[in-house]
Amino acid sequence: MSYEITILSSMSIAILFALSLNLITGFCGQVSLGHAAFYGIGAYVAAILTKAGWSLTLALFPAAVTAGAVGALVGMASLRVRHDFLAITTMGVGFLFVGIVRKQDALGGEIGISSIPSVAFGRPGLLMLAMICMALFIILCIYIRRSWLGFAFESISDDEDTARTFGIDVSKFKLLAFVIGTAGAGIAGGLYAHHIRFIGPDSFGFVESVTVLAMVIVGGIGSITGVAVAAAVLSTLPLWLQFVDDYKLLIYGSLIFLTMRFAPNGISGIVRALWQRHHSP
Amino acid sequence: MKRKFNTLALAVIMVLTVPLSALADSIKIGFNAPLTGFAAADGNSARVGAELAVEQVNAAGGINGKQLELVVYDDQASPKESAPLAVRLITQDEVVAGISGSYSGATRAAATIYQESGVPYISAYAVHPDITRAGGFVFRTSFVGEVQGRAGAKLIGEMMGHKRVLIITLNNDFGKSLANGFKEKAAAFGIDILNEYEYSIKDREFGAIVSKVKNDQPDAIYASGYFFTAGPLVRQLRAAGIESPIIGQEGYDSQKFIEISGLDGEGVIITTSLDRDSSDAATRDFIQGFEAKAGYSADMVAASTHTALMVLADALGRASDHSASSIRDAIASANVTASTGQISFNDLGEVEKDVQVQIVKDGNWHHYAVISDRELLAPPTD
Amino acid sequence: MLFIELSIQGLVQGAIYALIALGLVLVYGLLRILHVAHAALYTLGAYFGIIIVNAGGHIVIAIVLSMVLVGLIGIGIYRFAYKPLLDKPPLIALIASIGLFIAAEEVYRIIFGAYGMSFSQPPLQQQIELFSGFHLSASRICVVILSVLFISILGWLAASTRTGVAWRATVSDPDMAASFGVDIERVRHINFFIGSALAALAGVMVALLSNLVEPTMGAVPAYKALAIIVLGGLGSVRGTLIASLALGIIESFGTIYAGHILDRDAIAFAFLIIVLMIRPQGLLIRR
Repeated sequence: MSYEITILSSMSIAILFALSLNLITGFCGQVSLGHAAFYGIGAYVAAILTKAGWSLTLALFPAAVTAGAVGALVGMASLRVRHDFLAITTMGVGFLFVGIVRKQDALGGEIGISSIPSVAFGRPGLLMLAMICMALFIILCIYIRRSWLGFAFESISDDEDTARTFGIDVSKFKLLAFVIGTAGAGIAGGLYAHHIRFIGPDSFGFVESVTVLAMVIVGGIGSITGVAVAAAVLSTLPLWLQFVDDYKLLIYGSLIFLTMRFAPNGISGIVRALWQRHHSP
Repeated sequence: MKRKFNTLALAVIMVLTVPLSALADSIKIGFNAPLTGFAAADGNSARVGAELAVEQVNAAGGINGKQLELVVYDDQASPKESAPLAVRLITQDEVVAGISGSYSGATRAAATIYQESGVPYISAYAVHPDITRAGGFVFRTSFVGEVQGRAGAKLIGEMMGHKRVLIITLNNDFGKSLANGFKEKAAAFGIDILNEYEYSIKDREFGAIVSKVKNDQPDAIYASGYFFTAGPLVRQLRAAGIESPIIGQEGYDSQKFIEISGLDGEGVIITTSLDRDSSDAATRDFIQGFEAKAGYSADMVAASTHTALMVLADALGRASDHSASSIRDAIASANVTASTGQISFNDLGEVEKDVQVQIVKDGNWHHYAVISDRELLAPPTD
Repeated sequence: MLFIELSIQGLVQGAIYALIALGLVLVYGLLRILHVAHAALYTLGAYFGIIIVNAGGHIVIAIVLSMVLVGLIGIGIYRFAYKPLLDKPPLIALIASIGLFIAAEEVYRIIFGAYGMSFSQPPLQQQIELFSGFHLSASRICVVILSVLFISILGWLAASTRTGVAWRATVSDPDMAASFGVDIERVRHINFFIGSALAALAGVMVALLSNLVEPTMGAVPAYKALAIIVLGGLGSVRGTLIASLALGIIESFGTIYAGHILDRDAIAFAFLIIVLMIRPQGLLIRR
């Protein structure tokens, strides 16, 4: 069973990570190309704390708070720059994070942090914890979607200026989206660090940011179910595709491209189209 | 929808759990290497090196009549991929031991899994200092960076007699640990370090560093890197008219380095594991066998992976049974002559062997010297 | 002295950035797409250059042929990949472009090999003494000269030819341009052709400098060029040129004097973030 547990842990963490970006990019319309930085912040904070004797469950709180605090800073940037400028600014944040971590001996520098302790009850314990965090975040997403907050996010996502005329405090809600989203990524990162039990600067680079954005877009931007399915599939795709050997990344890249080219609304768009065809008179 | 998804996930998992191959009466060895992505060049050399070793062992009658079987997975040099793959190799494919033909991060993550599952694991060429610290089941057949850095200091300061030395450091665990080892022993060999510049593994353009090096006018340059960074670096240093000797390490060790640097590469000296001019049969067989199989010249990565496989095969032959603990003990007590020389391990599982010094002459790697100072080359023990 | 040398090295690097970023900013100006796969064309240009020279072609032929071929492929990418996505949110095209880029890198690896390719007899390696004690290889000088040459030609085309005027009209207001009878499709084709050809030129130049072309050589330019066009004000050609040179020079000095604190990529992005926080529209306001 332990391989299944590993796979399911990978999936749960990826779903949490992708949904946290979905909250920023999908719900609130703010593109982030540097989300892996917050994943990394969570991973480093949690790893350092558990190595100092904390339990992971406890360490996830500071991980979320630290990531969320830095997220608030980046959120402030989102107030200043918009759209494509924001995409590139967040990308810059990602590079800056990796660049700084590389040079910090306290964070292990290039060597990273290894021998991260395993959690109580081992791999099944981690899976339980990851699934609980994932479930809580899904509930949070559904709740936000149905609340006034979700409405505010959506109107900002549709058109910021119109939202402002409705009397929505755009700055406040943008910041809030960044804080919740990056805190979620921090938790996912803390779990990741204890799943793989080795972290280094290269694990949180641009590629990781692009990968998680791809999950959100392929799943169908804004759709909770779609993004969750896409995260589950894409995160484990390289493992499924071991048999195609040489063509694995080629298939991965082509799949992302072809989804965008022929089904730009992602998985949720495809499902909705099928549903409508099925149910139209 | 949620339910549908669960059924789907379950179905996919069930397909996956069907064992990929069920060759009767063979001994399975797990192997992870980056076969796609940015590290695919090294991953492929590693794979060919491993496959060559398996063929050689099987052709010679296998292990007590049983054939070796290599189960190969692609980890893209990523810890995120290598850890689940290690679990898969151990629990699904039921390998008796694993070999890493991969880079540091991926190897370090997999080592944790092998250790906690109590299955022996040998890292072929990853340099991360913490790999063997995963525990008693993890071994390494290549030098840690520090050891090679110390050898570099002796080579430059004592054997070549250069005093004013400049360091160009590749910004990753490999380059950093080399620089640490070098600096640790530099003073002991009378070396005065003028300056240290750093570059990232993605850099191929060294204009700024070259200008500064020219300004510093060093007696020698100790530059860490891989063939794909060192090739352009050497070329650009020479193109700017810098004549100082350049000393590198095993990362240079590929015919591709000579191809990239061309005539500018002549005279570059490196510390490595593979002696091209060795008269030893194991090394000669490997060099010829690899060239025939791969279609290009042998490199350090292939030699180290070949060595790791041979060490494991030797241990499997000597182990009283194929339980994990007897294989582990057999590896720990290894004393094998393989393609990279005489191999034995210290208590941490780090290799103890000679450092080969090679030089580029007439477009090929050739013997320059051997460093066998056991005290200098002592790997870390804890 | 060292100051001048580092500036010149920065200039060379900046010229390469400019060649790559120009194509990107042309595409962005016209279509509002962040064309990450542009870097895949740069890699392809380098491969073509090396293959043609190794097959016995002269370096000039290699440069021209590579530029033409890659230019045509650029048009192909526009037609196949971007044209159907023009009415979708820009994020869709960005992700499609990233997918295309990942796939292209793998195609290069599978076709041309993971080890990369080198010139068997690298051309333009003579050392030229610019002033006493300062040598620069012919290839480095070529990079600067060719960049200046092509960028000037481009500027002249845009200013003084019918196509150039049509192009500028389309950039500033596509609907208006169309109503005046400008063939917008044709403008876009020319746009992709020129942008891709310049990327190919940059690819061949970099191949000359490092004598190594690898499947992943586009990875760094892919995002750094994005940073440059944002710095330049997204859509401003002049801003892009200034940003390219500025970044080249900052990196050149940064590598030496800040290398212990931040690596090269981080220096570039630290610069980017600082500028954007002070001037959210980039170095130059788009005109």
